Amino acid sequence: MGDWLTGLPLWWGKVIAAVFFLGIAVWAWRRDNRGWRDLRVWASVLMAIQFLLYLAF
Amino acid sequence: MLPWWVISMSIIGTNIGAYDYMGAAGGAYRFGIAQANYEWIGAIPAMVLSALLFVPYYWKAGVYTVPEFLGRRYNLAVRVIEALLWGAFLACVLGVFFWAAGLMLNEYLGIPIWVSLLVTATIVGVYTITGGLAAVAMTDVVQLLVMFIGGVALTVLGLWTVGGWSGLVASITPTHPNHFNLFLPLDDPVIPWLGMILGLAFVLSPAWWCCHQAIIQRTLGARSEWDAKAGMMFAAFPKMFIPVLVVLPGLLALSLNPDLVGPDMDRAFPWLIRNLLPAGLAGLVFAAFMAALISSVDSTLNSAATVWTRDIYQRFFVKTASDRHYLNVGRILTFVFVLWAIAFAPVTKQFPGIYVAMQSLLSIFQGPTFAITLLGIGWRRATQWGGLFGLLAGVAISSALFFAAGWSFLYVAWWSFVGALVVTVVVSLLTRPEPTSKLEGLVYGLVMKDDEIQDVISRRAEGGE
Repeated sequence: MGDWLTGLPLWWGKVIAAVFFLGIAVWAWRRDNRGWRDLRVWASVLMAIQFLLYLAF
Repeated sequence: MLPWWVISMSIIGTNIGAYDYMGAAGGAYRFGIAQANYEWIGAIPAMVLSALLFVPYYWKAGVYTVPEFLGRRYNLAVRVIEALLWGAFLACVLGVFFWAAGLMLNEYLGIPIWVSLLVTATIVGVYTITGGLAAVAMTDVVQLLVMFIGGVALTVLGLWTVGGWSGLVASITPTHPNHFNLFLPLDDPVIPWLGMILGLAFVLSPAWWCCHQAIIQRTLGARSEWDAKAGMMFAAFPKMFIPVLVVLPGLLALSLNPDLVGPDMDRAFPWLIRNLLPAGLAGLVFAAFMAALISSVDSTLNSAATVWTRDIYQRFFVKTASDRHYLNVGRILTFVFVLWAIAFAPVTKQFPGIYVAMQSLLSIFQGPTFAITLLGIGWRRATQWGGLFGLLAGVAISSALFFAAGWSFLYVAWWSFVGALVVTVVVSLLTRPEPTSKLEGLVYGLVMKDDEIQDVISRRAEGGE
């Protein structure tokens, strides 16, 4: 990839990753399967955990 | 007819083999916790997409192998090219597996690497040609359990030895300041952060979790559509903890033995087994890892022989012959593949680690294959010529970037995906649309928005659901 790219700061990666995770969570949320069987809830939980992991490291 | 939790266990069980322990530990020794990206951003989002978007499609469309889908959706040429690419990939992966098994034997028993390779090749070759492993499912379960126990024991003993997490960080950070960052700077030649997002999260990961045969077949064994989706979704939770078993040992090895360099970094895991575990347990764990590695070689060897016999030899050379004839051809091919794998194994040293070797081989065709599969499922205007030229253009781009330009495999995957996508769309728009009769049961809209299903949905909506 071009040399111009190496100037992009690392926190851009964190921002892009955060938008990616939150985007999937919102998309999933807006899609007897109630309560714990509602998979949209779990999709959002998974993405929230990912968001926190990439915030921490 | 399996419940969701069995599907989840099956997905995770097949996703964490001996090669993953060894390759990921070597990767963590080299790159730090950035290796965990393969299990986090490189898996979890794609598993969610797969559960909510792709699994319902596969469930309703009926069972397909990906090459069969591509053959029906596009044409025979696309299917044959895919079979050739897959066959070549499997043949090269055999070499990587041989190298991993050779390193394991060499590190643990001190046998020279070439002797280790020949011993592995002889054992695998003999029992694959004479009929393969019996009771494979049961031995796989036992191996998985012993490897899991070994991985946990290594992590616990290792952390205790280095003085806990804070001791680990304190011992590594002075010499490797980036080893506790998930994203590495853009000037990293192998896994820069932008490549991790574009190549891994956007292409390689969904290509694997949404369109890979082994994964799809796991979910199709479920007792209901909900169980299939939930099996994939809930597998993502244990998947998040896999780095504790496979990445942390690599960091522990770096803390305890910082002298491994170059290709020797992949010795991190067997080095830990030999130096951290008590004698009896070390022998048991080593035997389980060796057996699991050889089992991986055996199944890959069988897959490679099957692809080349069925999709290439039977289609183009001898179309009608007895089963015995094809069985013998398969055995001869198995022997040829073993010889090829011995020759290819040392090439693994040219890559920065066995994990990157496998990912690099995947990146050459995963991007283009994912692009035409995605368009084949999602866009009814995609034509057979669009798919064919898209696939060819994508593989040409990936080959040029990888072999000639020497780019990171992550950028190779991304740009070959984009190239294949653009060429497929342009050529499709310039050629005659496919008739609806050919697309039924193949295109997402025609599968998911079936009249009958829509009727059920609207009746439920009226009922206040």
